[in-house]
Amino acid sequence: MASKLIQTEGHEAENPIGVCLREAFSLIESQLRPPFPLTIPSPPEYVNLNQAILYGILCEPHLAKVHIKHLHGKITDGYGFFTNMLTKVVNDLYPKLVDTAKIQLIWVTSEMVSVSAIGIDGLLVALLRQIVSGDFTEGNLWLCSELVGLFLAKWDCLLEEEPIVLTSALYTFLRLLADHYRLSSNSKLDVLKQLEIKFCIRMFREQFHLCFKIGRDLVRLLQELVHIPEFRAIWKDLLFNPGEFKTSDYRDISQLYLSRTSSRYFLLRITPEMETQLRFLLTHVNLGSQKRYQAWFGRKFLSFPERETLVVDIVRFICCSHHPPNEIIQSAVIPRWAVIGWLLKSCGRNYVQANAKLALFYDWLFFDERLDNVMNIEPAILLIVHSIPKYIDVTHTLLEFLFLLMENYDVGRKDIINHGVLSAFCMLVRKGVLCSLDILVNCDAISPFLKQRLVELFSGMKATVSKELQPVLKGCSLDLLKASSLEAQNTVAGNTHEQ
Amino acid sequence: MADMVSLKDIAPAAQNNINTQFIVLDKGRVTFEGQNKTCLALVADNTAAIHFQLWGDECDAFEPSDIICLTNGIFSYQRNNLVLRAGKRGKTEKVGEFTMAFVETPNMSEIRWVPDPNNSKKYVQEAVISPHSRIFPPML
Repeated sequence: MASKLIQTEGHEAENPIGVCLREAFSLIESQLRPPFPLTIPSPPEYVNLNQAILYGILCEPHLAKVHIKHLHGKITDGYGFFTNMLTKVVNDLYPKLVDTAKIQLIWVTSEMVSVSAIGIDGLLVALLRQIVSGDFTEGNLWLCSELVGLFLAKWDCLLEEEPIVLTSALYTFLRLLADHYRLSSNSKLDVLKQLEIKFCIRMFREQFHLCFKIGRDLVRLLQELVHIPEFRAIWKDLLFNPGEFKTSDYRDISQLYLSRTSSRYFLLRITPEMETQLRFLLTHVNLGSQKRYQAWFGRKFLSFPERETLVVDIVRFICCSHHPPNEIIQSAVIPRWAVIGWLLKSCGRNYVQANAKLALFYDWLFFDERLDNVMNIEPAILLIVHSIPKYIDVTHTLLEFLFLLMENYDVGRKDIINHGVLSAFCMLVRKGVLCSLDILVNCDAISPFLKQRLVELFSGMKATVSKELQPVLKGCSLDLLKASSLEAQNTVAGNTHEQ
Repeated sequence: MADMVSLKDIAPAAQNNINTQFIVLDKGRVTFEGQNKTCLALVADNTAAIHFQLWGDECDAFEPSDIICLTNGIFSYQRNNLVLRAGKRGKTEKVGEFTMAFVETPNMSEIRWVPDPNNSKKYVQEAVISPHSRIFPPML
């Protein structure tokens, strides 16, 4: 007798994927016991057989080995359909699965890695996304520990077949380690931390060329871990002994700074459910109607103080992985900067807020107009500008933080960062996100000190920035100051910045 | 499902025939009517809001942001309050969460209804008592 797949509450509609698998199973349950028929299934029968076996594996743990043998005997598509179904189960059902089904899921995933199933990378990424940042419940730590164990156990196989998925795992475990080190230590957690460290250090020491593919956010994650001795050594080598990594292409940490991190990495730290809700908010909810949605999202995902670090991942996701089309940007839908304003305000702890601001400005520091996307830096400038009329403290805090980063983020590479920030400002003006730099330089509400810093920064523009940007600079001429800043004030005033 | 209606098209009637889908915006305090728990909720779709009466285990099963599918519901007066509810013959089921657009005005429970002069079995809107719920004010 098969056990349940999903924990259902009263008054909850059945999940269609769950129903489909169960029906496939009951339709041919008698054929799932040996001796198995030797007939070759027709395409619809093949689909049904795959679904039935999947259900059997998840719900009949005592017969799992029989089921998998059956599967191996019948497979004709490189396990593509089977793995794809598994990925759907993870994305749509994972939090609702009964515990035994979760255990079976990890087991069958490991089997699929062993047979180099088609689509195994997608399945592993889906599982990594189910580990929730800042969640220290037993179930979440269990998943973490199972997956890091799987990545270590299947290291050679994955390295040969799907090396890129190892970079996804590295991004995930580096990020989770920062959380796990903030929790007071206990024996179970210590074992987990050791496994995570073992995996990450092995990646850095043996496969640095893969680590390098993550790009600049690798540095952002790593700097959170420099207090851990193993990572302090990595950090030192990254800065002072690039040859240690035996990757001839790597000569200096600035190479990492200057390589943009692909948006898929940010999705790794957002569960599919969070992604659905955030995208809905940013696509269907009008500015002014967002209050209830924000309260619901906050209650579900950010209600415990330790969950707060998730805000940093969400800011990165919104800046780099959610780029709305023009129809949405020009509509009444709540803009990204307003959602980020709300998220920053919801951070109680200083270090989380600092990390969230770093996440917001990270692409500014190393902005390269040829590689980077203006949409990644747009939310920060719009939050700065739109906060001027009613939330000038937000404008001040953000500008102060940006200057602080320029001074201190990497003292030895200030010129790179200075160039990045200037390029970012130029791009924002050139693309019309900011109609003129005068909005800031000539704004009465901004403190004289910050305005002075901005003037100094912009004065470096002619020297640093390439010739094609020169027309932008002409737009900053003092004659235009009054008019454009007046215009800006009007536009800003017309936008109610509700937080 | 057959004959799904928008909340703005619902009028009071003594019939258990309303099929609709909405999102829960807010929940009031749970009280008891005899042995049974009951609780008033504000629910809405993208056309209107309405007061929904949760009954028995529905009171604990549904939370704000839940999307509910109602089958064979009834919209009628309960102790002078105009509420939508499943009633004995109806059914409520959670079908999703969060991803539904809504408006808080008009609120169909905050409308004064009178019998249609041309058809005494039907009710028509006479006046708006309040544009929003007076029990669950909008979040500003």
